[in-house]
Amino acid sequence: MKHRSIYALLAVLMISAMALSACAPAPAPTEAPAPPTEEPAAPVEAPTEVPTEAGPCLKIGALFGGAVTDAGYNQAMYESVQAIKQNIPCVEIITAENVPDEAGATTTMENMISQGAKMIFATAFNHQYPALDLSKKYPDVVFEHAGGWEMGENFANYFGDPVNAWYLMGAAAAKMTESKNLGFVAAFPLGWTLTFANAFELGAQSVDPEVKTNVAYTFAWGDSAKEAEVTNSLINNGADVITMHVDSPATVIGTAESRGAKSIGFQSLAAQQFAPENWISGTGYTLGDKLTWLASTVLDKTWKPIFLRCGMPDGCVAVAPFGPKVPQEVQDFVNQVRADLDAGKIVPFAGPIVDQTGAVKVKEGEVLTSDVMSNVDWFVKGIEGSPK
Amino acid sequence: MIVFAFVLFGLILLLSGKDPIQSYKDIFTSTLGSPYGFSEVLVAMIPMMITALAVALPSRVGLINVGGEGQLYIGAAFATWAALTFKDMPAWALLPLMTVLGMLGGALWAFVPGYLKAIGLVNETITTLLLNSVAPKVIGFLIFGFWHSAMDTVKTPNFVEAARLPTIFGTRIHLGMVFALILLAAFWAVMKYTRWGLEMRSIGGNAQASKRNGLPVKKYLIIVMCIGGAIAGLAGMSQVSGFYGVLLLNFSMSLGFMGFLICWLAGGEPVGILIMSFVVSVIFTGGNLLQLTRDLPFATINVLLAITLFVVLAQPSFSIVREKKK
Amino acid sequence: MSLLAILGVLSSAIFSGTSLLYTTLGEIVNERSGIVNLGLEGVLLVSAASGFAVTSLSGNPYLGVLVAVLAGGLMNLILAYLVVTRRANQLASGLALMFLGVGLSALIGKSFVGAKITGLPRFLLPGLSNLPTVFSSLFRFDILIILCIPVAFLVWWVLFRTRWGLSLRAVGENADTAFASGRNPFRIRYQALFVGGLLAGMGAAHLSIAYTMNWGEYMTGGRGFIAIALVIFSKWHPLRAIVGALLFSAAVAFQLLLQSSGVQVSPFLLDMIPYFVTLIVLMIWGGTRRQSAPASLGRVYQGTE
Repeated sequence: MKHRSIYALLAVLMISAMALSACAPAPAPTEAPAPPTEEPAAPVEAPTEVPTEAGPCLKIGALFGGAVTDAGYNQAMYESVQAIKQNIPCVEIITAENVPDEAGATTTMENMISQGAKMIFATAFNHQYPALDLSKKYPDVVFEHAGGWEMGENFANYFGDPVNAWYLMGAAAAKMTESKNLGFVAAFPLGWTLTFANAFELGAQSVDPEVKTNVAYTFAWGDSAKEAEVTNSLINNGADVITMHVDSPATVIGTAESRGAKSIGFQSLAAQQFAPENWISGTGYTLGDKLTWLASTVLDKTWKPIFLRCGMPDGCVAVAPFGPKVPQEVQDFVNQVRADLDAGKIVPFAGPIVDQTGAVKVKEGEVLTSDVMSNVDWFVKGIEGSPK
Repeated sequence: MIVFAFVLFGLILLLSGKDPIQSYKDIFTSTLGSPYGFSEVLVAMIPMMITALAVALPSRVGLINVGGEGQLYIGAAFATWAALTFKDMPAWALLPLMTVLGMLGGALWAFVPGYLKAIGLVNETITTLLLNSVAPKVIGFLIFGFWHSAMDTVKTPNFVEAARLPTIFGTRIHLGMVFALILLAAFWAVMKYTRWGLEMRSIGGNAQASKRNGLPVKKYLIIVMCIGGAIAGLAGMSQVSGFYGVLLLNFSMSLGFMGFLICWLAGGEPVGILIMSFVVSVIFTGGNLLQLTRDLPFATINVLLAITLFVVLAQPSFSIVREKKK
Repeated sequence: MSLLAILGVLSSAIFSGTSLLYTTLGEIVNERSGIVNLGLEGVLLVSAASGFAVTSLSGNPYLGVLVAVLAGGLMNLILAYLVVTRRANQLASGLALMFLGVGLSALIGKSFVGAKITGLPRFLLPGLSNLPTVFSSLFRFDILIILCIPVAFLVWWVLFRTRWGLSLRAVGENADTAFASGRNPFRIRYQALFVGGLLAGMGAAHLSIAYTMNWGEYMTGGRGFIAIALVIFSKWHPLRAIVGALLFSAAVAFQLLLQSSGVQVSPFLLDMIPYFVTLIVLMIWGGTRRQSAPASLGRVYQGTE
């Protein structure tokens, strides 16, 4: 008697669980609530159409470190890859999510290649070396990695360059803050993260030199509970505008919203939905056109390894629409700063720049280069928090 | 009975809108159908065999070692220290050093639970579980505080060539396989043919009686626990040196627990461990392909593993036989 | 270190400790009846995923909580079947349950990653509405937080003041004796596991529906094992579990406070402290002595053959 009821209960559990996963609704909207204010400026090479009777003209494999619906980094990378298919319909894309570590990446890429993939997009930071190793093993497959620095004969690196955008966001935040205290939730004290925070603070200082940014670490790329903790802690320390460099902004922004703090998004424009009221603005990677161009060069066999970095003016980094509480004058101001950045009139990391201890890190007349930016281990004066 | 497990998982796949037949075909073709796939199965087997052994040995004296997870982390940490500090040492000196250190680390982590159990203070199940949770934090502390590479704070810089266990024929099968096989053979031989094996079995059967017969039970408990830890530490070292080539935070995907389950399924017998590691490894390696072809999250394969385990665990004769064997 | 920051630590501890407390309470009930659930992590994951999924589908967080609670109970029933009816080894069964939970939750949650839900509404404690938003938002608690201490007391009362609780503890101490005195160990363990699962489900529901309002694979981050350690730390007593849960979760918040005060202590070191304290507590009070652990914890009850 006991057994039968247990089986019945088990069956109910299984069936209901499966039913849940089967009849799920469409995942979180992958479109930003309003079209981005940016029109891609880079010319898109006309894709060479290869007539396809026998299968796709090109099989592309794409791997992501997390879930592609995370409203964050992975979603942005995913949408950029999917844009290839929208622009070149004869292409077939195989995707694998949640491939965070090296060993899994190697297996996944091998599997993709055995399925006929001739172009691989490895979008997570940790995928670089497995992809590089495999590129030596498979010289006829093109490997593109996001966010790294290595290059090879059939291996290249691409990424968006959001530094100017961060400066812009800092300026916007400084305009909207009342406590003159901004909060930055960071995953790890990595070079680029520090650079982003620095750019943010420099932008804020350009509006009001007294604004401070507080940086705190979760020590994980995607630990929601920690992100909620850190966000709350920053707010408790007086921050009223929150931004972040973690994989998915969802929890950080959602928590900020629930505490009444304003937020600035990053990674993906889809972050805006989590803060319907107190959203200021945000940036997201929109590499779709560039990736389409790369794929088209593979198709017409003109692909060369290029270290691709592009920013706001090229359409690789988009700025999100303003939130409902941002006054028109602030919007106009921000748009003006943006135009200046794009035109090169403002250079965020032009000297003199001083770090937290007062030491001069960038002399007058000098400009920080990309290489240095990726290796930064200091914070500009005005940031509270440890750069290590 | 195992068939029932596969059928049940197939049902789950069906309900999720995936084709079960094709899924199973995918699992088998990607693992057993290609030389690369098969080599991947063997690669995944290596740590499983070793961690299973780390449970099997202490179980002979009646110790329950659920601490494999923690022991392998600490073993990996010790080995990593050597790899990072002695970058210029040649491989024939560095690798043995790392091996010894790996075993030392694991043994150290098992010492406290072993000791506490031997003096009758705390159950080793509880202590090993607690230390499991502490180990990854130790790793985190070491990586962030001292060892992290400039580019990434989640892991150390890549190991130099000399610190990596060599691989075979261009696959990813590394020397750890040799370790595993040697250990299994040694375990079998020791238990069957040596006096120690006899004494251990006696203690495992009835500790009180053994003590009265003059066996140094306390010493055995501590030493065997430490050896078990050392074995797990070796698994950690082989993963970090042979498989990854870098120390990554949380690199163990429940390897320690997997080893515990495999040992359990195999009844603590070396041949059984070999077979069960193979089976589990096939399931896991095949699951990797499912993600690509069937659009299932990789973690789903755990469900198949779990159902298979349930089916085996639910066999009444199975469980009682195990109890009697103890 | 302002008042806001200190209160912030307290608030953080309460928020993140609630899910821990419920889970610990559930495991206390389990272990008091003699069963260790190593698969608690898996139970939490499945509950969190199902609750989140239902909340996302229906738009109703209360429904989500209900489903999460039930899911927890059901997962524990699987363990009950294996361990009580089939007399399988508790540790192995628990671990198998953990793997099931990891996989099943991934499957359930896949379509819901990054979904936005309306979490549980939060209420301000009476009398605090005059404070500025930044302060008062520290103490806006949802219903699960408000209930967690009363529930702890309820668990205490049931375990120590009702006949059922007495039987449960008797079974946990010595199933044979309990059987001899007319109780049915099988039935009691099933009930204990079910109730324990319900409580764990509440903890999981709080995590995904009320606290982070998010779902991601492995999001519980080891809470299941933390709870098992907490049960030991609180010596299998529901009221001490309150203190334990607060302490464990305060460690994270405290570390952040130190971070922003400029003190650089590695978060990993701080996270380790609660475990070491538990270990020391165990050594002092003795984990194998009768007063603390239920004596038949972990052993398989064979029943009368």
